[in-house]
Amino acid sequence: MNPTLSELEAKATRQKAAFGGDSHIVCDNLVRIYKTEGVEVVALQGLDLVIDKGELVAIVGASGSGKSTLLNVLSGLDVPTAGVARVAGMDLLSMSPRDRLRYRRSVVGFIWQQTARNLLPYLTARENVELPMKLASRGKARRGRAEELLELLGVDSCAGRRPPELSGGQQQRVAIAVALANSPQLILADEPTGELDSETSEQVFDALRTANRELGVTVVIVTHDPLVSEQVDRTVGIRDGRTSSETLRREGAEGQIIAEEYAVLDRVGRLQLPRDFTSALDMERRVRLELESDHIGVWPAREEPSND
Amino acid sequence: MRIRLLAREHLGTVAVLFVLTLGACLLVAGLPRATQAAYDEALRRDLQAAPAVQTDLAVTVSSGSRAEDLRERAQFDSRERLWREILPPELRPLTAPSSAGHMSAKTTLTPITGTGGKSFLNLGWLSDADRRVDWVRGRAPGAPATTRYEGETIPVFEVGVVEQALDKMNLRLGQTVFVGENDYAAVKIVGVFRAKDPGDRYWSHNSDILRILEEQPPGRQDFVRHITTLTSDAGLSALSGEGRNLTYRWILPLVPRAADALDVPGLRAAVHEFDRVVALQTVGTSSPYYLVTGLPELLTGFLAELSTAQTVMYLVLGGLLAVALGVIILAVQLLADKLDHTLSLARARGGSLPQVAGTAAALTALAVAPAAVIGYALSYLVPGPVLPIVHAGPVIVVVVTVGFAVVRPALLHRTPLHERREDVATARPSARRITLEVLVVVLALAGAYLLRARGLNASAGQDPFLLVVPIALTVAAALITLRCYPYPLRLFVRLSARARAAVPFLGLTRAARSRSGSVLPVLILLPALGVSVFAAVVSDGIASTQRLAAWQQVGAPVRVSTESEIPADAIERVRRLAGVEQVVPAQTGRVQVGYGAERAEAIAVDVAQWRAILGDAPVGLPALSDGVLVSPELRGRGTLEIGWQSRLKLATRGVIESVPGFFTTGKFVVVPIGVQLRPAVNTLLIKGDVSLPELARLVPSARVVSQESAMAAIQDDPLTSTVRSTLVVVTVALAAYALVAVVLSLVVGAAERARTVSFLRTLGLSERQAQRLTVLEILPMILVTALVGLGLGLGLPAALGPGVDLSSYAGDLAVGDYSLDLFLPSALAAGLAVVAVLGAYAHTVISRRRSLGAVLRVGDST
Repeated sequence: MNPTLSELEAKATRQKAAFGGDSHIVCDNLVRIYKTEGVEVVALQGLDLVIDKGELVAIVGASGSGKSTLLNVLSGLDVPTAGVARVAGMDLLSMSPRDRLRYRRSVVGFIWQQTARNLLPYLTARENVELPMKLASRGKARRGRAEELLELLGVDSCAGRRPPELSGGQQQRVAIAVALANSPQLILADEPTGELDSETSEQVFDALRTANRELGVTVVIVTHDPLVSEQVDRTVGIRDGRTSSETLRREGAEGQIIAEEYAVLDRVGRLQLPRDFTSALDMERRVRLELESDHIGVWPAREEPSND
Repeated sequence: MRIRLLAREHLGTVAVLFVLTLGACLLVAGLPRATQAAYDEALRRDLQAAPAVQTDLAVTVSSGSRAEDLRERAQFDSRERLWREILPPELRPLTAPSSAGHMSAKTTLTPITGTGGKSFLNLGWLSDADRRVDWVRGRAPGAPATTRYEGETIPVFEVGVVEQALDKMNLRLGQTVFVGENDYAAVKIVGVFRAKDPGDRYWSHNSDILRILEEQPPGRQDFVRHITTLTSDAGLSALSGEGRNLTYRWILPLVPRAADALDVPGLRAAVHEFDRVVALQTVGTSSPYYLVTGLPELLTGFLAELSTAQTVMYLVLGGLLAVALGVIILAVQLLADKLDHTLSLARARGGSLPQVAGTAAALTALAVAPAAVIGYALSYLVPGPVLPIVHAGPVIVVVVTVGFAVVRPALLHRTPLHERREDVATARPSARRITLEVLVVVLALAGAYLLRARGLNASAGQDPFLLVVPIALTVAAALITLRCYPYPLRLFVRLSARARAAVPFLGLTRAARSRSGSVLPVLILLPALGVSVFAAVVSDGIASTQRLAAWQQVGAPVRVSTESEIPADAIERVRRLAGVEQVVPAQTGRVQVGYGAERAEAIAVDVAQWRAILGDAPVGLPALSDGVLVSPELRGRGTLEIGWQSRLKLATRGVIESVPGFFTTGKFVVVPIGVQLRPAVNTLLIKGDVSLPELARLVPSARVVSQESAMAAIQDDPLTSTVRSTLVVVTVALAAYALVAVVLSLVVGAAERARTVSFLRTLGLSERQAQRLTVLEILPMILVTALVGLGLGLGLPAALGPGVDLSSYAGDLAVGDYSLDLFLPSALAAGLAVVAVLGAYAHTVISRRRSLGAVLRVGDST
């Protein structure tokens, strides 16, 4: 018997929900192609990423690997070319401009690397925090909320000062407060400590962790900073526009941190082997796989006899 | 968002925008008022200068029988009231009240019996004669009586005449003459009167009463004389149109001061309408009422003169508005660039498009709206009527400016992330765009050709075609410039790439690549230079033609002419007068050509001396030592025989179009003064700085004119002086706008340029090289635009040549060959280039103060 239309629809939605389930951030085979002057640059080449609600995740990768593009897509500033990108149940590809505006206002907050780019120099720290609430036409509780956030992030003493009068670390913490102003579910930070020394970086990272713990906000940080990437639960590595590895950290039995690096297996079964591994065993073009009871073995291609 | 805070943050740019808008609104609202005031003044002068009989409205009817006669003043009054009732509303404010008007009844061609049609004594009645004349001899006329003449009872009119009539027509006080050839009447001259104010416009209608009209019928030696006498109200009752040409007139005088140039087309129609309704009042009479006035012809002439002035004014004011808007938009662009960080951040943090665009618009409006209001208010200090453009101009400026401030951020921030690649040159233009551009260029050229081929009918009023062609030509020139100027530049880039120095290569490369950013400055500079050069050339053309016209009117620096001979001692006194450098005596007269009735105007003068005092004047004569110079009409006669004091036989030595100061048309000759046995000098041509009243005192009853006074008279015309002063104001304003445009376009690109220069300085670029780099980057655009603008401005007068007739501003001489005085236009272009270079230097000096690190970090994106 042929399935009815409603059954097909139910089937379709069921299948779609299968990848990532009801995770907070789901990217499935995400592609972003830039076109300038007829030259195409593929910044994201089928990236898969799943992040659960309340996670604190770092994304690392070489320059040009597509981290910033991913962040721009997730922040609703950029629209991917193809694939699936879903944040808090909202499909980032099919959003109308109105939805996108609502998304930027209430679902996501973000922080840029350049401290000067995050804040308006002629507004005080408090006014900067109030600005997104004003733009979203939030009620009169703005001032209270702004002060609350500044206090939470430890910069309440700077409320009446303007950005040029603040240190880099203070500016970034105020920027985090700005990003949190409209109570977003997700904060994206693009190299938030890139311009800061290690001590100040620590403060800024603490502020992000505070937001994550106290407010339950999902935090995604793009970073080069080993200090940051070593302190998060999960570090996702991106190479050539794809997620290539994941490092999970957990506390061992003796209280020491155990970091385990995993390769990422995508939905169709592709795997990126680290280059050091493949070159060490001289693996090129072809490898041999063998399924064992509890693992899959990868072997260099056997030298074939000429008469074979 | 906090607009006030933003305004304070960008105070400099907001102030620039404010000043630019203020200036633009003041000019756009003020200049049309000034020009319209001049148009009104010109119309009033024209009407004032024309004789009243031409400007006033005269309702006329002739009486052919006793039934049609008007015998009492009351009958005149009732009709006068009727005319005023049916007067079209457009004419009412222009006509003087009844008290200033008058009515008349006059016979024409009433012969004195027995004079054989040589003397005519017309009977006349004026409604306000008692206010207009004084009785100097005898008494005012009284009631008519009757007498018997050739068996019939005829009326005897008591009349008064002017003194002149008594002398010239052999009449005397107290004499009774009979008039008429078959329907007789007796006229008794009882008084002699004199006009209280003979110069009053009133007498223009009744000159036949004040002066004898003398005419010489063809083929007769003696004169026929006409005079109109003045009779009393009582005499009117006996005056009948039966057997006489009797005409009644109601004069509705025009008030020239109330005239308004804007109403002229309506006035013409109103006069025709009045004529029509006047004719409709004819009831039960054989002869109709009709209107006599020269007003429509006068107005038509004025309109022709006006439309030329308006065309030139529309062109330059339109150019000014366009350029002013362009510069203001450039300033808005500068403001928008400075706001970019704020708006991008707001947009990224959840600002909706209306919020972002609204912020930019509000800030722009904060600068522009008060400036426009103040400029509009200031324009009321300019005397002149309020035209629609006075209100519309500032509104256009505000709407365009704020509109641009809304549209630009709206387009730019449509998607929140706008990481523009400004270093990438724009893609090749689409075929559709190239086709469109070619079409515009072809249409502009075809339009200019058609305009030249067709010419222009100035009396037809405004010709929209004439306004469109210059605009199309400017757009075409801008398109060609924008499209073509990178090509030679790329050639230079290629050449400089081979050279060892890095700076020319870098500078020219940047110039060749920054095309998208330089469109607006080109679009501003091109019309600015084009229109200002056009205005300068036209203004210069008018000035030189005015000078030519003044020389043609006078013929010498100073000319003294009399009706009779100037005595030799008077000439000697003139020679000795302080300031007199040279005196050339001349004799003018009317001479007989050959032995027939042919006459010609002649001047006997030492041509060599005359040529000497003319010096470098724009008029002149060919040399003449013997023989004669003749006008084109006397061409080809070989040896000319003229009768002037004695019989002279002179060989033709040349043909001249005119004798400056004396003859321009008809038959005229110039002979050396030596041919006269005893020249009767009646004209002196004088060179030197000499007092005119002193000359007039030395040579009594002489007419003394100087080239300078003639020039002043030509320039004194309100239209002429306004056209010229407006052209000067517009030239200065456009030059200022062009300079502001250069400076603004420098500032707009400042941040980006500072970054590049800082980057290059980390690679070892010296400060001097940085300055040269900046100059090289902007110079090609400035130079190319300046040259094309110069060419456009110089070409426009030639392209529009036959379309714009400026002769009425240049003493009625056609402003034809626009002398290519390149000084002012070149100065404009050179000034522009110099300011650009100075601006570039100043810019690098300012940017030197910022530390390299700060420049390189600000706005740097990952």
